[in-house]
Formats: sequence, C-alpha cells, structure tokens
Amino acid sequence: MRLGFPVKVLGQPGLKSHDTRRWQNHPHLSVSLAYLRDVFLYLDRQDIRMYRMAADLAPYVSHPDLPRFHYQIDDCATELSALGAMAKSYDLRLSFHLQLSTVLNALDEAIALQAAQLITAQAMILDGMKLGDEAVVVTHVGGAYGDRDAALERFAARCDLLPDRARRRLALENDDNRFSVADIMWVHRRTGVPLVFDYLHFQNHNPEGMLLMEALEVCLGSWPQNVRPKIHFSSPRTAMRVIDRTSSQDERREPIMRAPRPHQHADFIDPFQFMHFVRKVKTIDLPEFDFMLEAKAKDLAVLHLREHLARLAPDAMYWGSNG
Amino acid sequence: MAEAQEPDTGQRWRVLVVVLNSHRDFEVAREESWYRIPLSRAPTRVGADYLAFYQTSVFGEERWAVNYYAPVRRYRIVSRRILLPGEPDHPRADDLYYRIEIGSLRRLPRSIPSHRLRRITFIPTTLERLFGAEEINDLWCGTRDEEQLWRAFKESGLAAERRYPLTEGDEQRTADFALFCKNGRLAVCMESELPIRNVRVIREHPLISEYEARALGWMMLRLESRDVVEPAAACLRTIMEVAERLGGVATPPTC
Repeated sequence: MRLGFPVKVLGQPGLKSHDTRRWQNHPHLSVSLAYLRDVFLYLDRQDIRMYRMAADLAPYVSHPDLPRFHYQIDDCATELSALGAMAKSYDLRLSFHLQLSTVLNALDEAIALQAAQLITAQAMILDGMKLGDEAVVVTHVGGAYGDRDAALERFAARCDLLPDRARRRLALENDDNRFSVADIMWVHRRTGVPLVFDYLHFQNHNPEGMLLMEALEVCLGSWPQNVRPKIHFSSPRTAMRVIDRTSSQDERREPIMRAPRPHQHADFIDPFQFMHFVRKVKTIDLPEFDFMLEAKAKDLAVLHLREHLARLAPDAMYWGSNG
Repeated sequence: MAEAQEPDTGQRWRVLVVVLNSHRDFEVAREESWYRIPLSRAPTRVGADYLAFYQTSVFGEERWAVNYYAPVRRYRIVSRRILLPGEPDHPRADDLYYRIEIGSLRRLPRSIPSHRLRRITFIPTTLERLFGAEEINDLWCGTRDEEQLWRAFKESGLAAERRYPLTEGDEQRTADFALFCKNGRLAVCMESELPIRNVRVIREHPLISEYEARALGWMMLRLESRDVVEPAAACLRTIMEVAERLGGVATPPTC
C-alpha cells in the first residue's frame, strides 16, 4: 500500500511545493515544476510513493482578470512530460485536491465556471504528465445553500457539463458537515464520478448511520475496475489549542486555551487507530487501495507512522501475503 | 493593475547560486537572459525564484564572488542542439539541459566573496541570506544546530568552510564543516539534519563513513545534534581539541 501526504514538505527545510510569487512578479508553471522535481527527488529518497500536488501549481491559471496566465500548461508540454516520466519511474501516485474556495455547485455561475476551469486545468496538467487514471482531482460537493438536494443536483449537472478530460479525472470526497458518504453515493450513481472515502469526515458526519466498512466498500467500489482507489485517513486532534485572541477591553493580544474539535487533524496519525482500521479492512474482501494521510506533520507523519507500523504491526503495511 | 517588480527581501524567496566561469556565459546571462544547467548534473534543488551568479577566476576584479542576481522567469528543458545552435556537432548535442530564463541582472548591494580557493557549484539559499551574507559560507541554509555552530565559528574567528566536498567534483560527499589544519584536514559532520529529532528522515547528502573520510585524507569528527544544542562553545572546544592534534587551524590561502 502507498502512504502519501499533501503538498508541503517538512522533512527537508527549504523545499517549496510551487511558485508562490504574486502575478506582478511573473510566476510560472515551469518554475513550479522545477520545485516539484526537487520534491520528487526527496520523496524517492524517503521511499514515499504518493503525493498531493499544490492546487496552485499553475499560478492564476483560471483567474478571470489575468488571461496571460491561462496558456502556461500548453506552454510547458515538454516540462510536464519530463516530470511525469520522473514520477512514473519513481512509481509515484499523484493527485490534486481543489481548495474549499473552488465550488463547482456554487449558486453564482461565475464562481462555478471558474471552478470548472480550474478542474479542467488540473486535469490538463495530469494529462500533460501522461499519468494514468489513478491520478485524480479530488473535490467536495460544495455548499448546501439551504437546499441540499438542489445543491447535489447542481453539482451533478455541472459535472456533466465538464469537458471529458476533466470529468475523467474528477473524484468526489465526503465532507464533515454537509455531504455524507450516502450523499456522494447519489452523485456517483448519477454521474459515475469515483468516490474518495475520508475516514475522519465519515466519523464526524454520518447522519445515515452507515457502518464504517459498508461506507468504505461503496466508495472503493465506485472506482473503475482497473484503477486502484485511494482514501483519506487522519486522526482527530486531541491536544489543547492555544489561540491568540485580541482582548476587547484593551486590544492586547492574549493566548486563550481551547479544547480540540473532533474534525481537526492531529499532527500525526494514531498508529493504533490505523492498525485497527487496516486489520478490519483485511477481514473482508475489498480491493487494495492507497492512503493519503492528512496530518499536520505532513511527510513526517508518513515516516512516523511507517516506523511505528514496522515495529508494532508489520502485517498492516502490506496487502495480501506478499504485499 | 499596476506592475510592481520588487518582492520583499524575504526568507521565503528561494535563490540558487550558480557558477559563471566564462565571459561568454556572463554575456548570455546579461544580454540574452538565460543560464543553462545540464539535466544530468542538476543539483538536488534546482527550483528557485532567483538565480545568483558566482564568478570564477576569469572575471578580474569581480572574481571569486557573487556580485549579481536575477529573477527567474521560466525553466525550459531543451537539447543542447537547440540551446546552442552554433554547435550542432558537439558530442553532447542531444543531451538535455535546463534553460533557465531570467530577468535583467541586478548588482548586489555588496559582493559576497569566497575567502578560500574552493570549487563552488550550486548553493541553494534564500533572498534574505543573499542580501545579508558577508561571505560565501553565510549562504548555506543549515539546521538550527548547524547554524548555531556556524555562528560560533564566526564569532571565534575560526576559518571554517561549510558544505565542503571531500573529493574534487563530488558534491554528494561533503563535510558540513571543513577546517584546514597545519598537519591535516578536519571534516565535521552533523549526525542529524532533521527538523524534529525522533523521526528518521534520510539526509539530502549521505553521511560519509569515517573509514572513507580517512582514505580521502580527512580526519572525521561526528557531532550528534544534541551536542550542539548544548552550548555551542562546548562543541567548539571539542572541535578545537581535535584541530590542535592536527597542528591547529591554518590561515586560509586567500585570493
């Protein structure tokens, strides 16, 4: 099984995930790709075979007021192809995850259009890298806007309108307070979009009372037969939060203590929770899948979990008898 | 929208220091606004917001120093044949290169000299360091422990070199610090370069073994990170004791 992490590398100071310059300073996708090449070298060194690329990899690619940035993907065909070949040689599974501000089911048509453009752009990047179908663009349904059924229907309809290349790469994830696994199942039945099961979101939002393994199974089963599914896994934060709050009386900043919320990600993955989950999965006949670990310690969380699994439960690290 | 060219001089802006060893390459950088790196010899960190240029001995008064920098605009991967169309029969004409396109060359407020005659290839650093560096060794970005030890070296006036290749042309086998003593050479290597101490992250450049270092004519001193967390002065004393056994630190053959 692959264990991956999103975007930011913490294990090697100074590795950037993408070109972060503002438009005034001429950011370019090719600069992001050069940074990404350095990240891939790091991933290979650490034997990490799964990675989520930055959503802003192609800067301002769908910004309505900056059309000069809209052609960088085509312009970088050679560099994308070279980086894709590098990823393949490292057996690296890559993906994108749309930011929460990218809302395909928005009531505002302009926002929805921009979301569709961004999904298409990210699909074009994956195509340009010549990556297989397991490289997907993950999104959430979006807003409920007071009418969940209409919101789901609008997502499905907009999904239908996406260009084929974008639709083929899109995957849908359950969220932690609006759209449950049962909701995204409906979208899958309507559109065929594969589903990314998010373990922590499921624990936080499961109004239908689905069983864990049942929910996992339907999500895994939504992927095409020849494509290895993936899920998101994270542990809930249990540590106290310290928040800087400005005092209303004298405007001084002061730290206040807050108990953690159950939807917040922990810094690391609880190895016992992970072992328990994997062992439970192995008791039933499910397709093999990969884990995107969503922990605040990013790659360090992957390395940390791997160390613990090797010591506590080597069996949990591999599928089947020979991994 | 108004164009604003200058970013803040911050730590988040990445700089790659590269080498200019001919007037022709300097002219290409200044007039044609690009620099080339063969893919096969590209460093582990090639991505950068800026390039800065270390000039070698051919540059007269500007030699052995970083004097110029330029913003990066674009990375292209092209064959040497396309990059240098005047040399179509070159034996490496089909080799691939990064053609790094840059903005106009800007002069640094002060030049950053290399005091010791050492081979420089690539130095990944930040814009903040580029503007603050007094000499080439200030450019390397190390862990907190490494930085602490470097400050201790500077404060004590000891002529140490950072990230020094133990063999000519092998950037993979480097000492974190090198001291040149009267009767030998001392390589100081930090055991850990991790941001946190109990997660095993494989080093960017593998640690050389003591045996291998000896074979290359270096005395090796390994320091645990926790040694440096203790007052760096104590750490420095340990290094000095070893250096004394090698006849004491020699004055570098400056240019």
